[in-house]
Amino acid sequence: MTMRTPTPTLSVQDLRVASPFADLLHGISFDIAAGERVGLIGESGSGKSLTATSVMGLLPETLTATGTIRLNGVDTDLLTAPERRLNQLRGNTMAMVFQEPMTALNPLMRVGAQVAEIMTVHHTENGRRQARERAVELLALVKLPNPAEAALAFPHQLSGGQRQRVMLAMAMANDPQLLLCDEPTTALDVTVQAEVLKLIGNLVTDRGTALLLITHDIAVVAEVCQRVFVMYQGEIVEDGPVGRVLTAPQHPYTQKLIAASDLSSVDDRGRLHTMSMPVVGRPLVTKSSPRQIQADATTALILPPHRAAHQRLEPGGPPMIFNEATGAPAISVRDLSRQYRRRGGGLFSPAPIVHGLRDVSFDVAEGQRFGIVGESGSGKSTLMRILCALDQPSAGTVDVLGQPIAGASERQLREFRSQVQIVFQDPMGSLDPRMKVRDIVAEPLRNVNRAEALARVEAQLAAVGLDADVMHRHPHQFSGGQRQRISIARALITRPRVLVADEAVSALDVSVRAQVLNLLADLVDEYQLTLVFVSHDLGVIRHLCDTVAVISDGRIVECGPTADVYDTPLHPYTRQLVSATPSMQELARRVAP
Amino acid sequence: MVLVVLRRIGVFATTVVVASIVTFLMLSILPGNAARIALGVQASEADVAAQATRMGLDRPGIVRYVDWFGHVLIGDFGTSTVSRQPIGPEITDALGITVTLVLTSVVLALLFAIPFGILTAVRQRKPDGAILSGISQIGVAVPGFLAGMLLVTVFAVTLRWLPAGGWVDPGEDFGGFLEHLILPAIALGSVQGAVLSRYVRSSVLEVMREDFIRTARAKGLGAGRALFWHGLRNAAVPVMTVLGLQIATLLVGAVVIERVFSIPGLGSLLLDKVALRDLPAVQGIVLVLVVFVLALNFLVDLAFTVIDPRLRSAR
Repeated sequence: MTMRTPTPTLSVQDLRVASPFADLLHGISFDIAAGERVGLIGESGSGKSLTATSVMGLLPETLTATGTIRLNGVDTDLLTAPERRLNQLRGNTMAMVFQEPMTALNPLMRVGAQVAEIMTVHHTENGRRQARERAVELLALVKLPNPAEAALAFPHQLSGGQRQRVMLAMAMANDPQLLLCDEPTTALDVTVQAEVLKLIGNLVTDRGTALLLITHDIAVVAEVCQRVFVMYQGEIVEDGPVGRVLTAPQHPYTQKLIAASDLSSVDDRGRLHTMSMPVVGRPLVTKSSPRQIQADATTALILPPHRAAHQRLEPGGPPMIFNEATGAPAISVRDLSRQYRRRGGGLFSPAPIVHGLRDVSFDVAEGQRFGIVGESGSGKSTLMRILCALDQPSAGTVDVLGQPIAGASERQLREFRSQVQIVFQDPMGSLDPRMKVRDIVAEPLRNVNRAEALARVEAQLAAVGLDADVMHRHPHQFSGGQRQRISIARALITRPRVLVADEAVSALDVSVRAQVLNLLADLVDEYQLTLVFVSHDLGVIRHLCDTVAVISDGRIVECGPTADVYDTPLHPYTRQLVSATPSMQELARRVAP
Repeated sequence: MVLVVLRRIGVFATTVVVASIVTFLMLSILPGNAARIALGVQASEADVAAQATRMGLDRPGIVRYVDWFGHVLIGDFGTSTVSRQPIGPEITDALGITVTLVLTSVVLALLFAIPFGILTAVRQRKPDGAILSGISQIGVAVPGFLAGMLLVTVFAVTLRWLPAGGWVDPGEDFGGFLEHLILPAIALGSVQGAVLSRYVRSSVLEVMREDFIRTARAKGLGAGRALFWHGLRNAAVPVMTVLGLQIATLLVGAVVIERVFSIPGLGSLLLDKVALRDLPAVQGIVLVLVVFVLALNFLVDLAFTVIDPRLRSAR
C-alpha cells in the first residue's frame, strides 16, 4: 500500500541569493505543509527576510536568486514566473505582513480602502462597495474596535498594534494558502505583542493557512509555531519541532543562541552565556566581582546594602514614595510631574495638556541598580531625560548626588554633567558619524591635556574590550555591539558616579546583547556605579537590576526588589506585563513535546 | 478641518495687513519729497507745498496709511503722479497678462515635468534613464531669456510661424492671443519644467523605496500600478512646495521674458514706474505682488491639508 504524501503548500529547493559582491543565501531547502505553522529564527543578516522576499518575488533588483520555489497548485517555479503571474499570486494565494506598522501602510489612504483594495485587485469581491463592506467585516475579524469607524481612519490615527491588525486583515482578505510574517510584532509593546501573536495563531489555525513567521525572538516562535528553522549566515542549520529545538537543540549555533537568549540563566560566575562571536580587541579581562543579584534560587543571595520595600500604588490612593532610602540617596525624586502642551486644539480654546509624569516620588540608593520598566508612552523616557537634566519638570524636586537639578542653570550643572553619564539606545544615531572614536570618547573630558586624554581613552577602550587601534576609525566601521561599547567608554571616561542607560541593548542582536549586558554589569561593579536602567524589556532588567520600578501612564505603579516584583507582582498591570514576557524555562515548559 | 482652514485665513489676513504697513513705510521713508518728485526739479517751493496738500502729504502718517489702504481694499490704488491717470486699471491689466503667462508656462512645465520626472525615476538604473536625466540637467542650466531668443530666431524670424513679440487681448482676437502666448510661455516654462522634473524624479525615487509601496506590491499590484495608486500622491507633497515657490518667483521673474517678447506685464510695469519715480504706482504694485505671493502660499498650504490627512489635525 502506498501512502500519497500530500503536496506541501510551499516547497523551496536549493534557494541561493547573491548580490554582485557576496552570496547571501547558500542553497536553502524546506517544505511547509498545508496549515503548518513554521518559525524562522536567526539574527540580523542571517538571511531570514531574504528568504521571505524571495518567496514573494520582491527581492531588490540588484540581487539574483536561483533554485526553485513552488507553491501548491501553481505549476510554475515562482523564481522564473513572469511578473504578471506573480501579481496574481501575491496577495491572493500568498500574503505577507511586514515589520514596521508605522510605514507599511499608505499614510494618505483610509485603512478600509487599503483593505478593500486587495480584494478589488484580485476581483475576489464584486465591485467596490462589496469590497468595502467585506473590509469592515475583516477589520472586525482582527478585533479592531468599532470596525466601521476604523475603516474610515487614516493610519496615523491608529496605534501600532491596531495598524498591524489592519495589515493582518489585508493579508487574510483573500484567504491565502500561505501567510508570511516578517517580524510582525517586533515594533510593538510586549502586551500588544502577545495579543497580536494570539490573533495570528488563531487566524491561521481557523483557516488552515500555512504560516512562515520570521523573528529574532525565540519566545515569539514558541508562542505561535509548531516547527522552527534556525538560520545562520545564509543557511538553515536546524529544523525541528519547537519543543525539541528549544529544550534539546542539536546544532552548536542553536545551543548558543538559546543560551544567550536566556537572561535568567547564568554561569557559575553570574555572567550571561555569550556566543563566541569575534570582537575587535583582546578579550575582556574577567573580574571576579560577586554579582549582586540572585539569578535563581540555587545562587547565594548577596543583597545590596539597601533593600527596597515591595510596594504598589493603590487605585485612587494617595501618591507614595517608592524605594525610600535612609541617609543620602544618590537620586531622590519627590512629587515630580511633567506636562506637555499638545499643539493644535481650538482656535480660542487652550491647547490640550498631556501628562507625561504625575506625582512620581522615589529614591535610588548609592550603588543600587535601579531598573525602570514600562511600555511606549508610559513616561519612562521623560523620567530619564529629567534625571539627566535634559528636560525640566513642571513641578516637584529632583536631587542627584545631593544637588537639586530642577531649575538649575547649565553652569550649576557642570559638575553634575561629569558625575551623571548616559548610554543611549541607538548605537548608530548617538555617535557623531564625522568624529573619530578617539575624539568621541575624549569629548566629555575637560581641562585634560592631549597626551593624558589619549592615554585615558586607550585605557577606557581597553576596559570595554576594544583595541587601541580603533581610536582612529569612524563609527560607521563598527557593528552595533561595538558602537554600544564605544558609547559606554564615552560615558565612563569622566569616572561618573551615576550611569543612566536608556534601552541600551534594545537595538542589539541576542548574542551581542548578552556580551554588552555582561560588560555593563562588570563595569558597574568595578566603578561602583549607581545604575539607572530604563527599558521595555523585563528580561534585561531582571538580569541587570536589583530593584525595579514599573511605570505606567506617567505613574510608578509598583516598585520593589526585582525577584519579588517578577515572582509575586502586586499590581494588575505588572501581572499583565510579566505574563506577556515568559522566561525561557516557562516557554520550554509550555512547548514541551 | 474647517478650523484649520479658518485659522489659515486668519493668518493670511493678518499677514496682508502687516505687509501693507511695511510697504507703506518703506516707500514713505525713501529720501526725496513725493510732491517735488511729481512736479520736477524746477517747481517752486510754493507749488511743491500746494502739490503736497493736494496729495495729502501734510497729514500724519497713520491717517495717510488708513486712507491709502482703505481705498486699496475697494480697488482704488490712487492716481499716478506722472500720468495723472488712476493706477488701478493699469495694474489690473498688467497683472492679468502676467498671471496668464505664468500660469500657462507652469501648466506646460507640469505637463512636461511629471511624466518626464517619473520616467527618469523608473528608468533610473537603465541607460536611457541616465540620458533623459542628463537632458533635464541641461534644461536647468539654460537661462530662460536665451531659450526665448532661440525660439524667436527659429519660429518667428526664420520660419515666420509665430509673431516675435507683443500681446493681444483674448477678448479682441483669441487666435492672435494664443499666437502671441505660445513662444513666451514655452520660454518661461522650459526652465521651470526642467527644474520641476528634477524634483519629481527625486521625490518619486524616494517614494519607491517606501515600505507601503512594498506592501502594495505584496498585495498583488504591479510595479506601475503600485506607483500610480500609492506613490504619486505621496510624491506630490514635496513637488508642490517647489511649485509654489516657482510661481511666486515667476510673478516678477517673468520680467526678463516679458522684455524679450515686449509684453506689458506686471514686472515691466514695476520697472517702468520705478524709473519714473511714480511712488503711488510702485506702492500699489508691490502690495499686489505681496498679496499674490501670500495667497499662493495659502493655497499651497491648503492643498497640503487636502492631500495629507496627517496635517488636518496636527496643525
